[in-house]
Amino acid sequence: MDAITAEDLRKSYNGFEALRGVSFRVRRGEVYGLLGPNGAGKTTTMGILVTLIRPSGGRALVAGFDVAREPREVRKRIGVVFQEPTIDRDLTAWQNLYIHGMIYGLGRREIEEKARELMELVGLSGALHRPLRSYSGGMIRRFEIARALLTEPQVLFMDEPTVGLDPQARARVWDVIRSLKRLGVTVFLTTHYMEEAEMLCDRVAIIDHGRVIAEGAPEELKARLGGDTVYLRAASRIDAEKLLRIAGVYGEARVAEDGRTVVLVTSDAPSKIPSILGEARAAGIRVVEARYVRPTLNDVFLMLTGRSLRDEEGGWRDWMRLHIHAGRR
Amino acid sequence: MTEALREEGKAATRAAGEEAGREPSWGQAFTAMAMRQLLRFRTAKSRLFNSIVFPLIWLVFFGLGWSAAFNMLGPGARMLFGGLDYLEFLAPGIIVMTVFMAGFGSGLGIIWDREFGYFKEILVSPAPRPALLAGRIFGDTVAAMIQGVAMALLVAVVAGWPGVGGLAAGLAAAFVSALASSALGTLIALSMRSPEGFHIVINLLMMPMLFLSGAFYPIDPLPAWLRALAYANPLYYAVDLARGAMYGVSSTPLVLDAAGLAAVTVASLAAAAAKFSKTYVA
Repeated sequence: MDAITAEDLRKSYNGFEALRGVSFRVRRGEVYGLLGPNGAGKTTTMGILVTLIRPSGGRALVAGFDVAREPREVRKRIGVVFQEPTIDRDLTAWQNLYIHGMIYGLGRREIEEKARELMELVGLSGALHRPLRSYSGGMIRRFEIARALLTEPQVLFMDEPTVGLDPQARARVWDVIRSLKRLGVTVFLTTHYMEEAEMLCDRVAIIDHGRVIAEGAPEELKARLGGDTVYLRAASRIDAEKLLRIAGVYGEARVAEDGRTVVLVTSDAPSKIPSILGEARAAGIRVVEARYVRPTLNDVFLMLTGRSLRDEEGGWRDWMRLHIHAGRR
Repeated sequence: MTEALREEGKAATRAAGEEAGREPSWGQAFTAMAMRQLLRFRTAKSRLFNSIVFPLIWLVFFGLGWSAAFNMLGPGARMLFGGLDYLEFLAPGIIVMTVFMAGFGSGLGIIWDREFGYFKEILVSPAPRPALLAGRIFGDTVAAMIQGVAMALLVAVVAGWPGVGGLAAGLAAAFVSALASSALGTLIALSMRSPEGFHIVINLLMMPMLFLSGAFYPIDPLPAWLRALAYANPLYYAVDLARGAMYGVSSTPLVLDAAGLAAVTVASLAAAAAKFSKTYVA
């Protein structure tokens, strides 16, 4: 059984289609990422999966239960870290954990034991009895992860887990997610940071304008671009011509505009570069520079949409989406 | 950290396994939410101050002033107030006002929870929603009563000692009022989206409700249409009940007061629970 099955999920807000048929499957034990620019429909998708947003169409099963028809069964089996903190700042971490445990049906002793373990897992052991008011943004995020794990959920949901955090805090949250992965916890996260998706996720779905436009392991998706790009600069134009013939055997190659650099697109550049260089030396060609670039998920997104994930602005549609969401919150 | 990880591994194997998920009981959900509201109350000292000071201002500056003025008319003035001194007449109303304002503030808590995100933490929990809401309302009611008791002791000393029995009866009436206003405030807040909207509604409702409650003047001599409005005001029954309980003076039979108040409470609770059960983020 899959941890999550989403089939043709749709959601419209006052006639505006935020989701236009989103489908994917998340296997047990994997870290699955929903990657897309702001306003692509990530938070709406997550809202549906965690039973807080009613889909206008389609169906989703989480831990084997229908999110629309059996929301309580789903809620019993999931842990959620929302994009904005959902804590009581006036209370201490322990008080927040205790109340959380109680409304999920845990006993006091159980909550006490787990609270200690989990606070250690997220690196907050010393701060259990401090009011959350005194926590930094990064500490709050890690605390919320610990709280979500208190009930041993079958799926942990995280909406933009590192948004708004400074680089150090972000790295610590990544560490926590990596340890969850080692522990075999199924994690579903949304993000608009491609590095985050590449680094953490076993598989990702790239979502744009309410549709999944690509799905697969990050390596797989990048491989669709044809592989790595290798740049080899020869000492002269004549060498470059010779080098082109050698490189051409390994993939699609051309000489760049400078006349001396051979550009080769190939899979698995690190294993091929040494042999190319070996052949070049045997042929007496002088290569003065050799480097290669791995494609990123951003390149995948660029290929699929013609836009970059990096530019935060997005189009007017994204802008509208964001405002509609803000209004509906 | 590695040791912790290994320890955690055991938990995680279970997490990834077939665990069925637990069933939070009604009682647990109720207790958790009541406890949370009380813990919050403990940290918010300013709330206690605020809800005591405002009614106290009424009691001292309004009550003492009018009491002195009425007493200039001689004993005849007391006939207006069922034989009570004006300060005594006002006292039960002040206690009810205290718990009423504190109880209505319960709704504000919902608004802030929505604003600061905690609302989602509650919405996504598998606990029965009516239990969560009832617990919350109960917690706020107890918090309101802590303020109510403090006020009642103050008032009983300033206005006229109603006896331990009278005080206890008055507090019982105040408890029902606190419950009714928490439920009402929560119901209103669940239908509101912004703190501003809630403040507007509260201000629009609270003043007329207070004035038409019979706390400041008897409503019997009022024109029929105003009296009709008063009879539709839950606060009227609360004040009449408290006054009857404390000083034995009431316009409506106490049984009727209690029944009216109970009806408002039950109706608000039921409506709020139904509304909360159907609450989604979108």
